[in-house]
Order: sequence, then structure tokens, then C-alpha cells
Amino acid sequence: MLREFTFEYPIVFLAGIPPAFCLLALMAWRMRRGGQPPQVVAALITLRTIALAIVLCLLARPVWVATEAKKVDREIVLLVDSSESMSLPEEGGTRYAKMTAFIRETLLPVLNKEKIRVRPFLFSGNLEAADADRVAHTIPDGAATDLGGAIAHGMENSAHPLAVIALTDGVANESVNNNAALGALMESGTPFIGVGIGRDSEVSSISLRNVTAPESAPPKQVFRVSAQLQAITSTNTPAFELLLLRDGKFSQSRKIPSSRGSRLWSESFEVTEPAEGIHFYTVQIQLPKDESITCLKSAATAEVRITAENELRVLFVQGKLTWDFKFICRALSADSSVKVTGLSHTSAKSIFRQNVENPGELTSGFPVSMEEIAPFRLVVISSLNPSELTPQQQELVARFCRELGGGVLLLGGPGTFDSSWQGSKLEQLLPVTFDSTPGVTGIDRAFHLQVTDEALQIPAFQIADQRANRAAWAQLPTFSQYGRVANAKPGAVVWARHEEDANSDGKRILMASQRYGAGLSAVICIENFWRWRLAKDANIQQFDRFWQQLFRYLGQAGRKTVSLSFTDEELRLQSDVHMVVERHPDPDSSKHGNADSADYKVVVHDPTGRVVLDQKCGLIPGRPLNLSFHTETEGVYIASVQDAQGVEQATRTVDLRNGRVELEKTARDMENLRQWANLSGGAALRVEDCADGDGIVKAIRRAVEKAGTPRKTVSPAGLNPWVLAALLLSLGAEWILRRKWGLP
Amino acid sequence: MNRKLTVLLLLTCGVLHCSQAADDISTFFIGRLKFGSNDGSDCGDVGKDLISLVSRASTVQVTQQKLLKLSDTGLFETPFLFMNGHNDFILSDTELENLRVYFAHGGFLLASGCCTNPEFPKAWRREFSRIFPGEKVKPIPYEHLIYRSFYKIEHIRSVDENRDVYLEGVFYQGNLVAVLCEQGLCCSFAMGNNCNRGHGVAPEDGKKIALNIAVYALTH
Repeated sequence: MLREFTFEYPIVFLAGIPPAFCLLALMAWRMRRGGQPPQVVAALITLRTIALAIVLCLLARPVWVATEAKKVDREIVLLVDSSESMSLPEEGGTRYAKMTAFIRETLLPVLNKEKIRVRPFLFSGNLEAADADRVAHTIPDGAATDLGGAIAHGMENSAHPLAVIALTDGVANESVNNNAALGALMESGTPFIGVGIGRDSEVSSISLRNVTAPESAPPKQVFRVSAQLQAITSTNTPAFELLLLRDGKFSQSRKIPSSRGSRLWSESFEVTEPAEGIHFYTVQIQLPKDESITCLKSAATAEVRITAENELRVLFVQGKLTWDFKFICRALSADSSVKVTGLSHTSAKSIFRQNVENPGELTSGFPVSMEEIAPFRLVVISSLNPSELTPQQQELVARFCRELGGGVLLLGGPGTFDSSWQGSKLEQLLPVTFDSTPGVTGIDRAFHLQVTDEALQIPAFQIADQRANRAAWAQLPTFSQYGRVANAKPGAVVWARHEEDANSDGKRILMASQRYGAGLSAVICIENFWRWRLAKDANIQQFDRFWQQLFRYLGQAGRKTVSLSFTDEELRLQSDVHMVVERHPDPDSSKHGNADSADYKVVVHDPTGRVVLDQKCGLIPGRPLNLSFHTETEGVYIASVQDAQGVEQATRTVDLRNGRVELEKTARDMENLRQWANLSGGAALRVEDCADGDGIVKAIRRAVEKAGTPRKTVSPAGLNPWVLAALLLSLGAEWILRRKWGLP
Repeated sequence: MNRKLTVLLLLTCGVLHCSQAADDISTFFIGRLKFGSNDGSDCGDVGKDLISLVSRASTVQVTQQKLLKLSDTGLFETPFLFMNGHNDFILSDTELENLRVYFAHGGFLLASGCCTNPEFPKAWRREFSRIFPGEKVKPIPYEHLIYRSFYKIEHIRSVDENRDVYLEGVFYQGNLVAVLCEQGLCCSFAMGNNCNRGHGVAPEDGKKIALNIAVYALTH
């Protein structure tokens, strides 16, 4: 780095020295005429000359000029707009598709030719580093566009970029980071090159935001498939058809009349299914041809399991033959409504199937599809490690619990609950975590299990009359071995603990459960739980009751007895939103003609978490209840129905905004890109002008040239304490001498 | 079928190794009964041979047998009992009561007459018919699951007589809780079949039957 001293305004010397010289000469002449001795005149004039010289120097603005070669990497920051406005259709695809084609066919070849590396980022409301594959396969659905934030954070992620290239429609709706971005560009001298994608006129759109339906419903029972729709336009939304497809085939349709302006509303179809099964209901928008309005999302699907729920099928998979299976089956044999299908590994390659519905069921040794696992309400996995299930099988079990509301019970001892579960797909659904080390094993002593108060509140743990229940659990025989798990996950309910063994989470967990998606998962980490039933003094009715009730509790956790839906109406702020809560007949109760009212609570939270509706109600099967809540605040409202035990039975959300900010302005904003480019010495280009690559090549080459030019840094040199001290010293000495010599 | 069994035995040697290294309290407990004047040593190590057989041919983990009396409290910690013998025996009321509770709670018993000696099966039928009122020991037809729980067994032929051999059993509330094979089942898979060669059940059949009974006991 070169550094030199100079004056910014040397003309001050040319203009100031002659008058100063004349002034000093005049002063000397006047003092001599007044009779002062020559040495007095010389001393005073010298001091005044020093002061004048300092003033002249300061007026000429002395500076240090440092010349520095720019430290620039041959790398550009590429900002790829993934906000929802980029999903708007253009000729031959969406804006995003057009942009990725431009990157692939034009931009990357140019940058490769210039040997410039690319650091790509996806941005919308925030910034995310991405590779080529991620950029190619991203769905543009960002809720906002923060170009300033993307520039600022992009600059932070690249030390000395050659340029920042942004591929965007230019429509930015967040500006809080603009100053930071501008500062970063100016300070580093990095040019901004904006390439505008999209057309320059506004786009009217309609979209199907979501489709909701109850997760399960009984046969011959009416339920609703609801769709939330949104139109964003300053003109008219044309009349269109809304179709309901059942398993891909046309089922119903309804005409939606024309409307004016932007709106959010819901439409629903009433559906009845005659028999059990799983059905997929797709709601689809069918716009008339040649309409100027664009359909952003035309279809969405909801899955409904139709089941009478009068039989609880359990799939019991065990990695080896265990006595627990035999004793549990013996316990369940008294309950004809519970049917256990067993898949037992009897040797390395053979599986013993028990109680299958037909010869072809589960022949592969494990369900291979959602259809095959759906008939079951509970999957018990016993004495099995994750390595014995393929990732696909593990994912299927997780989906069974999460999506179908099934129960999953993991049963075993030290050979089952070990660190091999860490990182497995099934680990996420379990209520406990696992240590990476197995802990001390092999020194087990007989132990009692201690059932927690939380467990005693659960119907599954009611094995004796109310008062005797706790005593009944205390009288269980001792067990000998247990699997060591680490901690309970947040939200998990611990059912039982070891009486002595403890870790950082307290007494070691032996039984626990947690909600996972729509279902419930549980672990029982006790080896040879059958000891309870075989013990001489055991009350086998209690053992049998526990397993019957536990299987029912886990298997029916996902059964929703209540549905919640919004009525067909306009959904908007500052108005009442109406909803319908309906209780379905309970198959067990209906058998006995029981249709009593049951207590439920309906709660609605506004976007700030404030409760806007909290209403207790008695629901009778077949008698829907209409409720409403008032909307004040913009955002997502969450409505839920809880049963008397506080267990959530149904939930629905509605996103109420005055309009989605991302789609309020849909025309390409080149002016915004030009402003960024002008302030940073870059360029703003329309993508159609870059088709042959010339425009972008020129802009990039300018950036390269700019990067090659050394940068000069100017810093003031005159105003410092030493100079000011010299000035004051000379003036002060002159004043003192004049006082000493008695001069005016 | 012999070949299949041999291959299976070879393939599962690794399983055997793991089984032997497993913890003391494994899945397949075997309690060998001492009863009457029988000290649980007829046909020598037949209990260990049964353990070995089950271990090698399935994922069932077994450790060493333990000797038990029907009056021992350990009876109710042992879900699978094995008894064999040559001679007549009589069970006391206490022993019968213990067996009644044991079976009602889910326990299982396998019995085998040694060396095709008729005294033991005769006594077994008599004594075990006393456990549950109205539940006599009866032959188990070939349609029963116990003949298909691991190997599919169509018939069991007697080696020295032109007839089929049937397992016999005691049922409690519809559940098969005790099984007898009178035709020297234990001899067929123990001691190289030396004590009963040319009589009763053939060694190949005996091994399959024993394994079927073990798997059935574990699954029903």
C-alpha cells in the first residue's frame, strides 16, 4: 500500500501567501516606524508568520492518500428469489422456472467462461445458502421478499465478492435491512447487478390454500371435506367450478359465482361413505378457459379413514419369540373385540404369522404400504432393533402413527432399548431418548416398578377399583431386567419408573408415552413383563385388564370422535367466523343405544395467543353445534376441541390476513433494481435483454474491471493536537512578548 | 426334510453362539421337574438337549435348565416345564393345586415317556386328568396348530408299530397347557437315541415335534 501526503486545496497557498506576506511586511514597517528595535520586530513577525502559515496549511486541507490494490475474490454472490411471487406463471412456465433456465443456459456458462465462482443463495423473507440442486428443486413459496436483507447477509457470507447478482422480480416488500445492505455495498465497493424476471403488468390470481377433512369417520355417516380459497385481484374473479374427486374420480361439483376484489373464503362438500376403507378426497379448481386470472394452486387432497372401529386389530411384531407375546395374547383372549396378528421371527429367515385375515396378508413379513398397515390400530414392536427394520418400514410405522393416528408400543428389555435407536427414523416417535453408552448392565437386582400419578389418571392403568388401584400396582411381583433409556422427551408422560436406579432425569424410566402426530407412542422397557401373570399370588384379571385397556388406549388414541369445520362463508378480519362442532356416534356406545351428552370445550386462540373463545359445551351425537368467534388481529387463528380430560379431539386453523403481502404487487419492479444498481455502480437488466448473454457479460466485465482498479483512501492529516498546540503556542508567545514589551 | 433341518442347524450356529452369551434370564426358561421318586435325571441330559435343539433351530434364547419340584416357588417364575420318566408316579394334592394355578396363570408343561415305557404315560394321564375337573387328558388331532407351529407335520409314524403317534394334552379354558408324547419323544433327540433305538418316535420326527411344541408354547 502506497501512502503520500498532499493538500486537497493547494490553491489556498497561491491565493493566501501574497496577501499574508504583504500583511506581515506592513506590520513590520509599522512597528519599525513606531520605534521598536529590530530584534523585537523580528521576534513578533516570526511568531505571526508561524501562526499564519499553520492557518494557511489547514485551509488547504492537508490529507494522506493511501493507494491500495482491491482485495477481491473471483466470486460472485448469486441471490435467487424464492418468494411466492416467483411462482406466478409466465409464458412457458413460472417466473422461477424461467429464472432457473436463465441460470442454467446463460448465466453459468458466462461465469464459467470468465472463471468466476458462484456462491448461490435462495432468498425470500430470509436467506439460505443453496447448491445447484436445491436451487433447481425449490418451490417458490416465501411469504415475503427482503432484497436488502439478502444483499446484507449475502455480503456477510462472502469475504470479497466481485459483484452481487440478484435474480428477482424486483418486488421487495421488506425494507428494514436496506441501509445495512447499502452500507455493505458502498464500503466494499461491490457492484449490484439486478436481473429482473417476470412481466411488467400485474397478475390476478386464485388459489386453493388447503383442504381439510376428519382423519377418520364411520361408514354411513356424513362428514365434510372443506376447502379454503383465496382470490387476489383488483378486478373480478370469474365464476368457476369447484370439483371434488374421490380417489381420483369425479364425485361432486359446485359452481362458485363471480366476485369482485380480493377475498378469502371456504367451501365444503358433504360426503358419506358406505363401507370401511381409506379414501383420498381432492378438491380442484376448474377455471373457464381464456380467463385472465391465474390459478396458483388448483388442487389439494385430504385423506379420510372410514372405519366402524368395532374391532381393534393389533399387529405384534417380535424379533424373537418371547413369552410376553404369549401372555399378552392370553390376556387379550377374553376381549373378543381385540384381535392380535402376530409376526414372529422364528429363525434368521422365517417369520411365523398368526391370525392373519387371509393367506395373502403380510406375506412379506411386514406391512409394505399404508393400505396394508391401515387396518391395524396398534403396532407392537417387541425385542427388535432398528437395524432389523428397513428405513422404509420404519417410515411406514412413523406415518402410521403420525398420519393414521395409530398407536405404537415398543416393548423389550436391555437387548431392545439401546443406543442403536439413536438417529433411526423410529427414534423421533418414541417418548424417550437413548444414551450413546448402554450403562452398567448385568448386575440387575430384582426391582419393583413405581407407577406415576400421571399414569394412574389414565384409564389403561385402572386395574382395580379406585381406592385399591394404587395398592394393586404396588403389589406387582418384582422384575429382573430392564432397558436403560436416557430421558423423557419434552411433552412425554412418564408412566412408571425404577424404584432405585436413577440418572440425571431422576429415577430410570420404565414406561412412558407421548403424542406423535395424530397417534400415540409408548415404551415399556421391562424384560419379561409376563412374570406378573405367572406369579403364584398374581391377580391375573388385573394383568389381563391392564393389557386390554392399554391396547385400547393406544389403539384408539387417534380416533377422533369430534369434528370441527368452518361454515361456507367469507373469512375476513373485523367479522365473526362461524364454525360447526359435531360429535360422531361412538361405536361402542351406540351398540348399547347410549347417546348421552358428553362434555367438551372449544377454545380459539388468536395470532397473539390470546383466547378469543373458551366455551364448554355438551355434545350429543348427530346434533351439530354452531359457534362463532370475532376476528380482530391479522394472522393465524387456531380453533380446537378438547374432551373432558383435556385431550385434543379436533383442531382447525384459519389464516386471516388482509391480503398476502407477497402477492399484493405482482408486476416486475425494475425501478427498484435500478436504484440498487445506481447506488453501487452496478447494472439493472431485464432478463429478456440478457438472452444472448451480452448484457450480463458486459455488467460482469465492468465489475471485473472495477475490481482491478486500485482503491484510493483519503484521510485528513492537518487537524490534530500537535498542529493546534503549535498554533496556540505561537499566538500565545506573541501575546506574552507584546505584554512584556508594553506593546499594544 | 433332514437336509433342511441340517442346513438350518448349520445356518443358526451363529445364533447359538449369541444365545450362549446372552444374559442369564433368557426368554425360554426350562424347568425340569422332580416328582414322586423321579429326581429329574431320567434320560440324562435330555433337558439340555432340548435347550440346544430349540436354540439352534430358532431365535428362541435358552439358558441352562433348572431342576424344580412342583412345590417350589420357582415354579411360578418358569413358564415352560419339562418332565419325563419311566415309571408310575402320584402327585400330591399340593402339587396338583400348584399345577392348577400354574396352568391357569399361563404356564406350559411338556412331558415325555422315556424309552416307550408304558408306566409313565399311564400315570401321567391319570394324574393330569385330576388337575382340572372335567378336563381329561385327550389325544391332540393332527389338525391342531401344534403340528404346524414351526414345521408342518402331517403324521407322526411309530418306528416299530404300524400306526400314527398322537400327542396328548390337557386343555384349560380352551388353551392347551400340557402335552405328553408317550412314544419316547425325549429319547429321540437325546443321548443319540441309544436308549430307544428302533422304538417310538424317529429322531428326525422327535426333533421337529419338540421344536413345534416349544414354539407353540411361546405363541399360544
